[in-house]
Amino acid sequence: MRVVIMGCGRVGAGLATRLAAEQHHVTVLDTDAFAFRRLLPEFDGRRLVGSGTDDRMLVQAGIETADMFVAVASGDNRNILASQKAQSMYGVKVVVTRVKDPLRAELFGRLGLRTFSPTKVGIELAHDALFAPDGR
Amino acid sequence: MYIIVVGGGNVGYGLALELQQLPDYEVTIVELSGSRASTLRDELGEMVVHGDGSEIAFLESVGARRAELVIAVTADDGANLVTAQVARHWFKIPRVITRVNDPRNEALFRKLGVDSIVSASGAVMAQIEATMPEHTLVPLMALESAGLRVVSMRVQAGSTAEGKALRDLTLPMGVLITIVITPDGALAPDGSTVLRHGDEIIAVIPREADETLRAMVTGAHPDDGRP
Repeated sequence: MRVVIMGCGRVGAGLATRLAAEQHHVTVLDTDAFAFRRLLPEFDGRRLVGSGTDDRMLVQAGIETADMFVAVASGDNRNILASQKAQSMYGVKVVVTRVKDPLRAELFGRLGLRTFSPTKVGIELAHDALFAPDGR
Repeated sequence: MYIIVVGGGNVGYGLALELQQLPDYEVTIVELSGSRASTLRDELGEMVVHGDGSEIAFLESVGARRAELVIAVTADDGANLVTAQVARHWFKIPRVITRVNDPRNEALFRKLGVDSIVSASGAVMAQIEATMPEHTLVPLMALESAGLRVVSMRVQAGSTAEGKALRDLTLPMGVLITIVITPDGALAPDGSTVLRHGDEIIAVIPREADETLRAMVTGAHPDDGRP
Protein backbone atom coordinates (compact mmCIF):
# COMPACT_ATOMS: atom_id res chain seq x y z
CA MET A 1 0.00 0.00 0.00
CA ARG A 2 1.03 3.58 -0.60
CA VAL A 3 0.62 5.42 2.69
CA VAL A 4 1.04 9.12 3.51
CA ILE A 5 1.53 9.92 7.20
CA MET A 6 1.08 13.48 8.45
CA GLY A 7 3.01 14.10 11.66
CA CYS A 8 6.24 12.46 12.74
CA GLY A 9 5.74 12.44 16.50
CA ARG A 10 6.00 9.24 18.52
CA VAL A 11 2.90 7.75 16.92
CA GLY A 12 3.68 8.91 13.38
CA ALA A 13 7.30 7.77 13.52
CA GLY A 14 6.45 4.44 15.12
CA LEU A 15 3.69 3.74 12.63
CA ALA A 16 5.90 4.79 9.71
CA THR A 17 8.69 2.47 10.80
CA ARG A 18 6.29 -0.42 11.26
CA LEU A 19 4.51 0.08 7.93
CA ALA A 20 7.82 0.38 6.09
CA ALA A 21 9.00 -2.87 7.73
CA GLU A 22 5.79 -4.45 6.43
CA GLN A 23 6.88 -3.47 2.89
CA HIS A 24 4.43 -0.60 2.43
CA HIS A 25 5.49 2.54 0.55
CA VAL A 26 5.53 5.21 3.22
CA THR A 27 5.91 9.00 3.01
CA VAL A 28 6.07 10.95 6.27
CA LEU A 29 5.31 14.66 6.43
CA ASP A 30 6.24 16.96 9.28
CA THR A 31 6.59 20.73 9.51
CA ASP A 32 9.76 20.26 11.58
CA ALA A 33 12.68 18.36 10.07
CA PHE A 34 13.96 17.65 13.60
CA ALA A 35 10.96 15.35 14.12
CA PHE A 36 12.46 12.83 11.68
CA ARG A 37 15.06 11.90 14.32
CA ARG A 38 12.37 9.67 15.79
CA LEU A 39 12.42 7.41 12.72
CA LEU A 40 14.50 4.31 13.25
CA PRO A 41 17.59 3.93 11.02
CA GLU A 42 15.99 1.05 9.12
CA PHE A 43 13.11 3.30 7.93
CA ASP A 44 13.45 3.34 4.13
CA GLY A 45 10.45 5.53 3.25
CA ARG A 46 10.37 9.18 2.20
CA ARG A 47 10.60 12.15 4.57
CA LEU A 48 9.14 15.51 3.53
CA VAL A 49 9.29 18.78 5.44
CA GLY A 50 5.99 20.64 5.13
CA SER A 51 2.41 20.85 6.29
CA GLY A 52 -0.16 18.18 5.53
CA THR A 53 -2.81 20.88 5.22
CA ASP A 54 -0.92 22.40 2.27
CA ASP A 55 -2.09 21.06 -1.11
CA ARG A 56 1.33 21.42 -2.70
CA MET A 57 2.92 19.32 0.02
CA LEU A 58 0.19 16.70 -0.18
CA VAL A 59 0.66 16.39 -3.93
CA GLN A 60 4.42 16.19 -3.49
CA ALA A 61 3.85 13.45 -0.93
CA GLY A 62 1.92 11.50 -3.56
CA ILE A 63 -1.58 11.99 -2.18
CA GLU A 64 -3.09 11.61 -5.65
CA THR A 65 -2.03 7.98 -5.87
CA ALA A 66 -2.01 7.12 -2.15
CA ASP A 67 -4.16 4.25 -0.87
CA MET A 68 -4.11 5.43 2.71
CA PHE A 69 -3.69 8.67 4.65
CA VAL A 70 -3.03 8.94 8.37
CA ALA A 71 -3.17 12.26 10.23
CA VAL A 72 -1.33 12.14 13.56
CA ALA A 73 0.00 15.70 13.82
CA SER A 74 -0.54 17.62 17.04
CA GLY A 75 -3.65 19.68 16.33
CA ASP A 76 -7.09 18.10 16.03
CA ASN A 77 -8.30 20.70 13.56
CA ARG A 78 -5.27 20.40 11.30
CA ASN A 79 -5.63 16.63 11.30
CA ILE A 80 -9.29 16.95 10.35
CA LEU A 81 -8.63 19.57 7.64
CA ALA A 82 -5.89 17.47 6.03
CA SER A 83 -7.93 14.26 6.31
CA GLN A 84 -11.03 15.73 4.73
CA LYS A 85 -8.84 17.11 1.96
CA ALA A 86 -7.26 13.69 1.37
CA GLN A 87 -10.68 12.05 1.30
CA SER A 88 -12.82 14.61 -0.52
CA MET A 89 -10.36 16.32 -2.84
CA TYR A 90 -7.89 13.52 -3.60
CA GLY A 91 -10.13 10.48 -3.26
CA VAL A 92 -7.96 8.57 -0.81
CA LYS A 93 -9.98 5.49 0.17
CA VAL A 94 -8.75 4.90 3.71
CA VAL A 95 -8.26 7.95 5.92
CA VAL A 96 -7.40 7.61 9.59
CA THR A 97 -7.45 10.67 11.82
CA ARG A 98 -6.29 11.19 15.38
CA VAL A 99 -8.65 13.54 17.20
CA LYS A 100 -7.84 14.08 20.87
CA ASP A 101 -11.22 15.63 21.75
CA PRO A 102 -13.54 12.57 22.12
CA LEU A 103 -16.71 14.39 21.02
CA ARG A 104 -14.99 15.81 17.95
CA ALA A 105 -13.67 12.34 17.15
CA GLU A 106 -17.21 10.98 17.39
CA LEU A 107 -18.68 13.66 15.12
CA PHE A 108 -16.07 13.37 12.39
CA GLY A 109 -16.27 9.60 12.64
CA ARG A 110 -19.95 9.94 11.78
CA LEU A 111 -19.02 12.28 8.94
CA GLY A 112 -16.89 9.62 7.27
CA LEU A 113 -13.36 9.74 8.69
CA ARG A 114 -11.89 6.80 10.60
CA THR A 115 -11.16 8.74 13.76
CA PHE A 116 -9.70 7.59 17.03
CA SER A 117 -9.35 9.50 20.25
CA PRO A 118 -6.24 8.80 22.35
CA THR A 119 -7.99 10.62 25.20
CA LYS A 120 -10.91 8.23 25.20
CA VAL A 121 -8.65 5.19 24.81
CA GLY A 122 -6.38 6.53 27.58
CA ILE A 123 -9.28 6.96 29.98
CA GLU A 124 -10.44 3.39 29.32
CA LEU A 125 -6.97 1.94 29.81
CA ALA A 126 -6.30 3.93 32.97
CA HIS A 127 -9.66 2.95 34.40
CA ASP A 128 -9.15 -0.71 33.59
CA ALA A 129 -5.64 -0.63 35.12
CA LEU A 130 -7.01 0.87 38.33
CA PHE A 131 -9.41 -1.99 38.89
CA ALA A 132 -7.41 -4.85 37.43
CA PRO A 133 -6.67 -7.59 39.95
CA ASP A 134 -2.97 -7.83 40.90
CA GLY A 135 -2.20 -4.75 38.79
CA ARG A 136 -2.32 -6.80 35.60
CA MET B 1 -31.59 36.13 17.42
CA TYR B 2 -28.57 34.58 19.11
CA ILE B 3 -25.30 34.67 17.16
CA ILE B 4 -21.99 33.06 18.08
CA VAL B 5 -18.90 34.55 16.46
CA VAL B 6 -15.84 32.29 16.71
CA GLY B 7 -12.59 34.23 16.38
CA GLY B 8 -11.88 37.63 17.92
CA GLY B 9 -9.29 38.86 15.44
CA ASN B 10 -9.83 41.92 13.31
CA VAL B 11 -12.72 40.36 11.44
CA GLY B 12 -14.49 39.06 14.54
CA TYR B 13 -13.94 42.33 16.35
CA GLY B 14 -15.26 44.37 13.43
CA LEU B 15 -18.30 42.13 13.21
CA ALA B 16 -18.94 42.43 16.93
CA LEU B 17 -18.93 46.21 16.67
CA GLU B 18 -21.46 46.12 13.85
CA LEU B 19 -23.69 43.43 15.34
CA GLN B 20 -23.78 45.29 18.65
CA GLN B 21 -25.63 48.11 16.92
CA LEU B 22 -28.49 45.86 15.91
CA PRO B 23 -31.24 45.80 18.56
CA ASP B 24 -32.54 42.25 18.20
CA TYR B 25 -29.24 40.44 18.20
CA GLU B 26 -27.56 38.75 21.12
CA VAL B 27 -23.93 38.06 20.33
CA THR B 28 -21.16 36.00 21.90
CA ILE B 29 -17.58 36.31 20.68
CA VAL B 30 -15.38 33.27 21.30
CA GLU B 31 -11.64 33.89 21.40
CA LEU B 32 -8.98 31.21 21.88
CA SER B 33 -6.20 33.45 23.13
CA GLY B 34 -6.63 34.50 26.77
CA SER B 35 -4.80 37.78 26.37
CA ARG B 36 -6.70 38.73 23.24
CA ALA B 37 -9.97 37.78 24.95
CA SER B 38 -9.27 40.05 27.91
CA THR B 39 -8.35 42.93 25.60
CA LEU B 40 -11.63 42.48 23.74
CA ARG B 41 -13.53 42.14 27.00
CA ASP B 42 -12.26 45.54 28.18
CA GLU B 43 -13.95 47.09 25.20
CA LEU B 44 -16.91 44.85 24.45
CA GLY B 45 -17.73 43.50 27.90
CA GLU B 46 -19.49 40.28 28.79
CA MET B 47 -20.16 39.23 25.22
CA VAL B 48 -16.54 38.08 24.91
CA VAL B 49 -15.67 34.61 26.22
CA HIS B 50 -12.31 32.87 26.31
CA GLY B 51 -12.38 29.36 24.86
CA ASP B 52 -11.99 26.99 21.93
CA GLY B 53 -14.81 27.54 19.47
CA SER B 54 -14.11 24.27 17.67
CA GLU B 55 -14.74 22.25 20.84
CA ILE B 56 -18.22 20.80 21.15
CA ALA B 57 -18.36 20.87 24.96
CA PHE B 58 -17.30 24.50 25.03
CA LEU B 59 -19.82 25.58 22.40
CA GLU B 60 -22.49 23.80 24.39
CA SER B 61 -21.52 25.87 27.43
CA VAL B 62 -22.06 29.14 25.57
CA GLY B 63 -25.53 28.09 24.44
CA ALA B 64 -24.86 26.76 20.95
CA ARG B 65 -28.12 24.80 21.10
CA ARG B 66 -30.18 27.97 20.86
CA ALA B 67 -27.93 29.80 18.37
CA GLU B 68 -29.44 30.59 15.00
CA LEU B 69 -26.21 31.69 13.37
CA VAL B 70 -22.58 30.73 13.87
CA ILE B 71 -19.85 32.74 12.17
CA ALA B 72 -16.39 31.13 12.08
CA VAL B 73 -13.82 33.82 11.33
CA THR B 74 -10.53 32.78 12.88
CA ALA B 75 -7.30 33.06 10.90
CA ASP B 76 -7.01 29.25 10.99
CA ASP B 77 -8.85 27.43 8.21
CA GLY B 78 -8.75 24.13 10.11
CA ALA B 79 -10.51 25.71 13.09
CA ASN B 80 -13.08 27.40 10.84
CA LEU B 81 -13.78 24.20 8.93
CA VAL B 82 -14.24 22.19 12.13
CA THR B 83 -16.36 24.87 13.81
CA ALA B 84 -18.61 25.09 10.77
CA GLN B 85 -19.17 21.34 10.65
CA VAL B 86 -19.68 21.08 14.41
CA ALA B 87 -22.26 23.88 14.19
CA ARG B 88 -24.02 22.33 11.24
CA HIS B 89 -23.94 18.64 12.07
CA TRP B 90 -23.76 18.50 15.88
CA PHE B 91 -25.84 21.48 16.93
CA LYS B 92 -27.98 21.65 13.75
CA ILE B 93 -27.60 25.42 13.64
CA PRO B 94 -29.59 26.65 10.65
CA ARG B 95 -27.10 29.15 9.31
CA VAL B 96 -23.32 28.98 9.35
CA ILE B 97 -20.95 31.48 7.80
CA THR B 98 -17.31 30.55 7.41
CA ARG B 99 -14.22 32.49 6.56
CA VAL B 100 -11.68 30.81 4.33
CA ASN B 101 -8.20 32.29 4.60
CA ASP B 102 -6.38 30.28 1.97
CA PRO B 103 -8.31 30.38 -1.33
CA ARG B 104 -7.04 26.88 -2.12
CA ASN B 105 -9.18 25.56 0.71
CA GLU B 106 -12.35 26.99 -0.72
CA ALA B 107 -13.16 24.04 -2.98
CA LEU B 108 -12.90 21.69 0.02
CA PHE B 109 -15.17 23.89 2.14
CA ARG B 110 -17.78 23.90 -0.61
CA LYS B 111 -17.51 20.19 -1.17
CA LEU B 112 -18.14 19.57 2.52
CA GLY B 113 -21.30 21.62 2.36
CA VAL B 114 -19.90 24.57 4.27
CA ASP B 115 -22.01 26.82 2.11
CA SER B 116 -21.66 30.46 3.11
CA ILE B 117 -18.00 31.13 2.61
CA VAL B 118 -16.52 34.58 2.82
CA SER B 119 -13.19 36.23 3.15
CA ALA B 120 -13.70 39.37 5.21
CA SER B 121 -16.02 41.19 7.57
CA GLY B 122 -17.66 43.32 4.90
CA ALA B 123 -18.70 40.23 3.03
CA VAL B 124 -19.92 38.56 6.23
CA MET B 125 -22.19 41.53 6.84
CA ALA B 126 -23.44 41.22 3.27
CA GLN B 127 -24.36 37.60 3.96
CA ILE B 128 -26.19 38.49 7.15
CA GLU B 129 -28.21 41.13 5.40
CA ALA B 130 -28.79 38.61 2.63
CA THR B 131 -30.69 41.15 0.62
CA MET B 132 -29.30 40.10 -2.72
CA PRO B 133 -30.44 36.75 -4.07
CA GLU B 134 -27.02 36.09 -5.51
CA HIS B 135 -23.74 37.80 -4.75
CA THR B 136 -22.13 38.29 -8.08
CA LEU B 137 -19.46 40.70 -6.92
CA VAL B 138 -18.38 40.06 -3.35
CA PRO B 139 -16.18 42.74 -1.80
CA LEU B 140 -13.22 41.18 0.01
CA MET B 141 -11.13 44.16 0.97
CA ALA B 142 -10.98 47.92 0.44
CA LEU B 143 -7.73 49.59 -0.54
CA GLU B 144 -8.95 52.99 0.58
CA SER B 145 -5.98 55.19 -0.20
CA ALA B 146 -5.84 54.05 -3.81
CA GLY B 147 -9.63 54.06 -4.25
CA LEU B 148 -9.53 50.39 -5.17
CA ARG B 149 -11.29 47.29 -3.96
CA VAL B 150 -10.45 43.62 -4.01
CA VAL B 151 -13.50 41.67 -5.13
CA SER B 152 -14.43 38.10 -5.86
CA MET B 153 -16.79 37.14 -8.67
CA ARG B 154 -17.92 33.92 -10.22
CA VAL B 155 -18.12 33.35 -13.97
CA GLN B 156 -21.67 32.36 -14.81
CA ALA B 157 -22.97 30.21 -17.64
CA GLY B 158 -23.85 32.17 -20.76
CA SER B 159 -21.97 35.29 -19.65
CA THR B 160 -19.71 37.39 -21.86
CA ALA B 161 -16.65 36.18 -20.01
CA GLU B 162 -17.39 32.47 -20.22
CA GLY B 163 -15.14 30.57 -22.62
CA LYS B 164 -13.00 33.62 -23.37
CA ALA B 165 -9.29 34.09 -22.87
CA LEU B 166 -8.49 37.11 -20.69
CA ARG B 167 -6.74 38.84 -23.58
CA ASP B 168 -9.99 38.74 -25.56
CA LEU B 169 -11.98 40.55 -22.89
CA THR B 170 -12.19 44.32 -22.90
CA LEU B 171 -11.66 45.02 -19.23
CA PRO B 172 -12.46 48.45 -17.79
CA MET B 173 -9.48 50.73 -17.14
CA GLY B 174 -7.51 49.89 -14.04
CA VAL B 175 -8.90 46.37 -13.54
CA LEU B 176 -6.33 43.80 -12.50
CA ILE B 177 -7.34 40.13 -12.55
CA THR B 178 -5.00 38.68 -9.94
CA ILE B 179 -6.18 35.13 -9.23
CA VAL B 180 -8.40 32.69 -11.06
CA ILE B 181 -9.68 29.79 -8.96
CA THR B 182 -10.63 26.76 -11.03
CA PRO B 183 -11.70 23.31 -9.86
CA ASP B 184 -7.99 22.41 -10.15
CA GLY B 185 -6.89 25.15 -7.78
CA ALA B 186 -5.78 28.75 -7.81
CA LEU B 187 -3.62 30.09 -10.60
CA ALA B 188 -1.99 33.38 -11.52
CA PRO B 189 -3.65 34.13 -14.85
CA ASP B 190 -2.10 35.53 -18.01
CA GLY B 191 -3.65 36.64 -21.31
CA SER B 192 -4.15 33.08 -22.45
CA THR B 193 -6.11 31.98 -19.36
CA VAL B 194 -9.57 30.90 -20.49
CA LEU B 195 -12.46 31.53 -18.07
CA ARG B 196 -14.87 28.70 -17.47
CA HIS B 197 -18.32 28.63 -15.98
CA GLY B 198 -17.98 28.42 -12.19
CA ASP B 199 -14.44 29.81 -12.06
CA GLU B 200 -13.88 32.36 -9.35
CA ILE B 201 -11.98 35.52 -10.15
CA ILE B 202 -10.22 37.64 -7.57
CA ALA B 203 -9.60 41.12 -8.98
CA VAL B 204 -8.43 44.54 -7.90
CA ILE B 205 -10.84 47.07 -9.35
CA PRO B 206 -11.60 50.79 -9.27
CA ARG B 207 -15.08 51.48 -7.88
CA GLU B 208 -16.51 52.66 -11.20
CA ALA B 209 -15.72 49.31 -12.84
CA ASP B 210 -18.30 47.44 -10.72
CA GLU B 211 -21.19 47.42 -13.14
CA THR B 212 -19.19 46.59 -16.25
CA LEU B 213 -17.52 43.64 -14.53
CA ARG B 214 -20.76 42.41 -13.02
CA ALA B 215 -22.26 42.44 -16.51
CA MET B 216 -19.31 40.53 -17.95
CA VAL B 217 -19.50 37.64 -15.49
CA THR B 218 -23.30 37.41 -15.30
CA GLY B 219 -24.32 38.38 -18.83
CA ALA B 220 -27.01 40.57 -17.29
CA HIS B 221 -26.44 43.61 -19.48
CA PRO B 222 -25.45 42.58 -22.99
CA ASP B 223 -24.64 46.14 -24.03
CA ASP B 224 -21.77 46.30 -21.56
CA GLY B 225 -18.38 44.66 -21.72
CA ARG B 226 -18.43 43.59 -25.35
CA PRO B 227 -15.41 41.47 -26.23
